[in-house]
Amino acid sequence: MRNTPAATPTATGRPAISSETLLNIDAIGISFGGLKAVQEFSLQLPAAGLFGLIGPNGAGKTTVFNLLTGVYQPDCGEIHLASRRLSRRKPHEITAAGIARTFQNIRLFPDLSVLDNVRLAGQLHNQHGLLSTLLRTRSHRREEQVLQEKAFDLLQVFELQDRAYELASNLSYGHQRKLEIVRALATNPKVLLLDEPAAGLNPREKKLLAHSIQQIRDRFQVAVLLIEHDMPLVMEICESIIVLDHGVTICKGTPREVQNDDRVIAAYLGSGLTDD
Amino acid sequence: MSDFAQTLITAIAIGSLYALIALGYTMVYGILKFINFAHSDIVVLGAWSSYSLAVKLMPALGYSLDAVPPIWVSVVILIAAMVFCGAIGFSIERLAYRPLRRAPRLNVLITAIGVSLLLQNVGQLSFVFGASPQDMPPLLSDRTLTTITFGEGESVHQLVIGLVDVVIFATATSLMLIMQYLVFHTKLGVAMRAVSFNTETAALMGIHVDRVVSFTFVLGSTLAAAAGFLIVMKYPSISQPAHTIWVLLGLKAFVAAVIGGIGNVRGAVLGGFVIAFVEQFGAFYISSSYRDVYVFALLILILLVKPSGLLGSPLREKV
Amino acid sequence: MSHSSPETNADISNAEAMTSMPSRFGNAWTALIPIAIGIAIAMLLHFLLPSPQKNYYVKVAQITGIVIVLAVSLNIVNGMTGQFSIGHAGFMTLGGYMSATITYYGSMLLWGSTAKHGGFLGSGEWLFAASCLAGGLFAAVAGYVVGLPSLRLRGDYLAIVTLGFGEIIRVVLQQTAKVIEDPDVLANAGVAELVPPPLGGSLGFSGIPKYTSLFWVYAILTATLVVAWRLKSSSIGRAMISVREDEIAAQAMGVNIARKKVMAFVIAAFFAGIGGGLFAHSTGAVSPKDAGFQQSFDFVIMTVLGGRGSISGVTIAAILLTVLPELLRDFEQYRLIIYALLLVIMMLVRPQGLLGIHEIWDLWPRRRATVPAPTATSSVASLPTPSQELK
Repeated sequence: MRNTPAATPTATGRPAISSETLLNIDAIGISFGGLKAVQEFSLQLPAAGLFGLIGPNGAGKTTVFNLLTGVYQPDCGEIHLASRRLSRRKPHEITAAGIARTFQNIRLFPDLSVLDNVRLAGQLHNQHGLLSTLLRTRSHRREEQVLQEKAFDLLQVFELQDRAYELASNLSYGHQRKLEIVRALATNPKVLLLDEPAAGLNPREKKLLAHSIQQIRDRFQVAVLLIEHDMPLVMEICESIIVLDHGVTICKGTPREVQNDDRVIAAYLGSGLTDD
Repeated sequence: MSDFAQTLITAIAIGSLYALIALGYTMVYGILKFINFAHSDIVVLGAWSSYSLAVKLMPALGYSLDAVPPIWVSVVILIAAMVFCGAIGFSIERLAYRPLRRAPRLNVLITAIGVSLLLQNVGQLSFVFGASPQDMPPLLSDRTLTTITFGEGESVHQLVIGLVDVVIFATATSLMLIMQYLVFHTKLGVAMRAVSFNTETAALMGIHVDRVVSFTFVLGSTLAAAAGFLIVMKYPSISQPAHTIWVLLGLKAFVAAVIGGIGNVRGAVLGGFVIAFVEQFGAFYISSSYRDVYVFALLILILLVKPSGLLGSPLREKV
Repeated sequence: MSHSSPETNADISNAEAMTSMPSRFGNAWTALIPIAIGIAIAMLLHFLLPSPQKNYYVKVAQITGIVIVLAVSLNIVNGMTGQFSIGHAGFMTLGGYMSATITYYGSMLLWGSTAKHGGFLGSGEWLFAASCLAGGLFAAVAGYVVGLPSLRLRGDYLAIVTLGFGEIIRVVLQQTAKVIEDPDVLANAGVAELVPPPLGGSLGFSGIPKYTSLFWVYAILTATLVVAWRLKSSSIGRAMISVREDEIAAQAMGVNIARKKVMAFVIAAFFAGIGGGLFAHSTGAVSPKDAGFQQSFDFVIMTVLGGRGSISGVTIAAILLTVLPELLRDFEQYRLIIYALLLVIMMLVRPQGLLGIHEIWDLWPRRRATVPAPTATSSVASLPTPSQELK
């Protein structure tokens, strides 16, 4: 393993805080065995901000997402959403608090229909009890109906409503990626974590995706944190970018600042970033 | 005091049996990440094939079934049972488990249960082993090796060390040492550990994964066969193949593997002894009717306190 | 950019919601209609068919009904939630013992005899119904206790814990004292005779009044099927299925997976306990060995064969695997060999079970209220412009 210099969290430039901070990540870290997968990761994500999280393979980007969503518990550091402490909470509690994510390797519920995938995510905030379910009470049916309407509305936004009754596993790859985003949005999040949403898409689809990520941010008033390997896409839409390498934050700043940072260029060995 | 020591000796003998069986569970789990439910039935197969061999072989060689034959007869029976069970273990993996290598774990578990049921009930058929218990002809004289006397006057105690217990412990320990050598000091052992660590990477490094898996099953099955043989040496009345007692035996050995940390070879041995101690001393000091209950209570306790077992390392699912 | 207005869309999804639900009326009482119909049918069966004690085929029909209750309830844990319990017979036996204790000793105290008391829907039958309910509740409590470790365990460990649970039940029941047969002895019994309760030890609890009839079996079967179906088609069922499909993703969607697992466990154990009560009062005896794993395997095989979470599939499998062995009694020693082969071959050839995730009525093409396609050309993500308001 390459020896990395003990980089300070804020290598270049100050953290770009445009408005009040929604998600405040304060020096979280985790190690697996002896490997420090993520060290002292800090980030202040403003409401409706669109930040990028980049870095070479194995830099610890997805680990950051796993820490934020409670899949892993951070060894140190704190996570706050608005003023609520989220570190050391269970994943489902964190989702309920307002952080939703997509998965790098698509993790839909393959044997549920497209509609049910979305309804499942949507039912988070109106869970009714066992008894009303078994008795099929009026309020239960009304809630199920509202849930279904909301799910259809969301599916319509992403033009998936025709496939509503198909099994998620029968969708094309591109549609599955879209459904992942729909499903995450159905939990009604304040922060949306997108893990390589453009992976496997063709250039035209990527362009449309870039557009729709911005639209999602404006439309649903969510802050977006985006992991992506497609540099042009990241540079085009992100307001601020954090670069990870071997678990260490090596650079933070605007796309322009990041592109000109020596350490970032070194980390990528000149690939991706320099050719625009 | 002597009762304590006597229980200790039994616990050590039984513990080495549990350890032998637990090794089979733990190795398969380490490599394929599933509970080989049929493993306890291999133990049964080992016990019953030892019996069948003994009743066929001994008269053929001119020995009476009532007298103790020379020691080499036992060795031949043991080795034959191990070879036979090894072959069965190999075939099971080949026919039932290998086609499911990429299937969800639950499917493999269900298959294993199916294989277990199959072995039990085929064994019960009249032309196989039959559905009634049998008595193992004596292969060793259960004579007392030494008697240790201690205490004086009213409180004089005798501690009896029997030949069978010593044979069980010695055989089990030497088999475990051979296994330890195989796993930690041979190329095949390195391959096994590599496959256990990461099957895909091991395959990319040129390790023949199927061969390693086959080897693991053969190794586990031969150890199970030896355990089956040693069990009928200690308890000569053999229950029919589908008797609950066998399932409980297998379950306890599995519990031993879990308590030691499943996937961990040394943990399985440790767990085997822990289980035997809990069971024997619980039976001695509390009540022997509930000896199975103590073991499961311990399992639930360990799973709640340290789910990865005494020597195991926690598993993380890749997200 | 144009797309159909939210109003029309909502209307259509309403229509869909209505057609996909069994009861389409506003009144909450109508939700009980399926159960009322079931009870009416059960009553018809009860009066039209001869008594199970007299007619072999009716007896098989009665047993089949109880087996379906057990298989369908196990399917909530194994099929829908994707956990793997092989201790269902343990819950069944617990319920059986509980309800047998209530009717046997209850009858003795109330009426001075363990014989059946009262006619159809008479006081004896109501005591029996209450005892089955108590058996179900008792098993449900046990289900909660066993379900708790599943908070921390993956499916295959759970299998071992449930297996161990069944065996513990068996061992503990074997230690109980002889059943008290004389009402006078019971009346004068002290604490020493009653604790631990005299439940027959390893010989089993016999002499239980045979209250189980086609009516009770099919009424309870209806309730079980309705509950299973309503669970499956509700948000709770969806959450349970999501646990089966992908625990990590389910958590990420806000599903409290531990809670859903325990809930599945408790519901399944409840119905298993009731089924145990029905069994006990059908044969008149329960035995500790009923709690053993061999008994559980029968139900496991039915859920595997029927299909993961498919209620109709499991029902069909339960009928087949109960009726066929009755017809092929001569092959009894091969029955389990065939079952075992069936399991292995199923996993190799059709691991999802006969019907897979579908219900039998999904096999016939059905007209569905489809949502009209929007006029906009399909692109990766054509979001409405920010000015358009979403509901």
